[in-house]
Amino acid sequence: MHNVVTKSKDVTLLEVLDRVLEKGVIISGDMVISVADVDLIYLGLKVLLSSVETMEKLRGSPFISPMQEAR
Amino acid sequence: MTLNSVVETDFPEEFVEEMEKSNDALPRKIDANPKNVEKGLAKLVLTLIELIRKLLEKQAMRRVEAGSLSDEQIENVGETLMKLENKMEELKGIFGLKDEELNLNLGPLGDLM
Amino acid sequence: MKLYTYSIIDSSKQITEPIYGLEGACVYNIPYCDIGAVVSEFTESVQSKTEDGVLAHEEVIERLMESFAVLPVRFHTVFDGRDGILSMMRSYYKDFRNNLDRLRNKVEFGIKVIWPSDKIKEHLINTYKKDNEKVSIPDDSSNKRFIKKKFEEYRIDEEFEKKANKFIKVMDMFFSKFAAEKKLKKLKTENLLLDGVYLVERGKQDDFKEAFEHIKGPHTGAGFKFLFSGPWPPYNFVILPKKSDLLEDSEQKDLFDKVIQHQDLVGADKI
Repeated sequence: MHNVVTKSKDVTLLEVLDRVLEKGVIISGDMVISVADVDLIYLGLKVLLSSVETMEKLRGSPFISPMQEAR
Repeated sequence: MTLNSVVETDFPEEFVEEMEKSNDALPRKIDANPKNVEKGLAKLVLTLIELIRKLLEKQAMRRVEAGSLSDEQIENVGETLMKLENKMEELKGIFGLKDEELNLNLGPLGDLM
Repeated sequence: MKLYTYSIIDSSKQITEPIYGLEGACVYNIPYCDIGAVVSEFTESVQSKTEDGVLAHEEVIERLMESFAVLPVRFHTVFDGRDGILSMMRSYYKDFRNNLDRLRNKVEFGIKVIWPSDKIKEHLINTYKKDNEKVSIPDDSSNKRFIKKKFEEYRIDEEFEKKANKFIKVMDMFFSKFAAEKKLKKLKTENLLLDGVYLVERGKQDDFKEAFEHIKGPHTGAGFKFLFSGPWPPYNFVILPKKSDLLEDSEQKDLFDKVIQHQDLVGADKI
């Protein structure tokens, strides 16, 4: 969840996290769009596909593990 | 650091457990780290397939309930659903994913299920 | 200078009492028309996406809530400078204004209920077995047996949900009496019968709490567990237009290009 570093499994903290990370005013301050759960999944898929494309471009071919490329 | 808002419960651990379980659903971010991306992709794809499989099962059950399936149809549906379920188990095994990890919290679409 | 944003408030005036946010920085109000965005200067030199950061964020908003109507902003919303904030406020002004008016003097409470789902399932299974002693679904093949088993599970799940709905209806009836708005999630997990948030007028807080105790008392003996939290700033009741509805295909493409560049979102730092 947003790379927030948390150690404690404290119920109060979880309640706070659920609100400050997922709710409230969500604006394009950091490029995440506030939408209902379904739309977010849709966005997630496209973002995932885009990021996989980027990976392929950077590595030259699909899904070759870094280990193989190093040889 | 004190907050004005208070969380009152006699069972904090139980609620922590349930809250963490419900967060296991589809992650809002996909980790594109090469080491994890395949598992993340698998989780995403299998979650969607599982959704479809469960919908199919539910539809079949509705028809059994309505009594609108012939003996032969029940036989065929049974075979198909069984194969789907077995295939799903196989895929989960291959990617090391558990049921809880594939639980899609649909929000407003939750009633589909 | 980067600006960390905590909340939108219904005031264009300066904040006169000292409220400290992340990095120990003092917060101040950037006015726009008759509202404002409360921010603090942010260097992001130290990792701030931590427990402490989250609590500091929440504490600022709660302090603000003592004197203003607030629209809490999501954690770690950072703008590059004043211009970004002002332009954001200009785009959202009407929405912010409407929300502030609607949410003024109202706070949010959370109620979660765990129910004894194992016991309830057990009871339902026994009832099903009794009711179906006479009825026979054909089971003379492995496929048919599979269907029979699935059907039993299906019926029990249906009854399980029906029971859940019944309990929630009764409880919600009590809680809603003193709430202006509410959002309920039922059966987020098998055990978590209800995850509800209620928007309550400040003046009705005590009545609301009393209604909660009214439900909690009798149900606790029967294996129900309750959680009551608040008063929170109205995180769950801010209504903003969904951006995705407004994006055209080309805009979506531009957006996704920007998203790829924005490494934070996909944790693609290592690529």
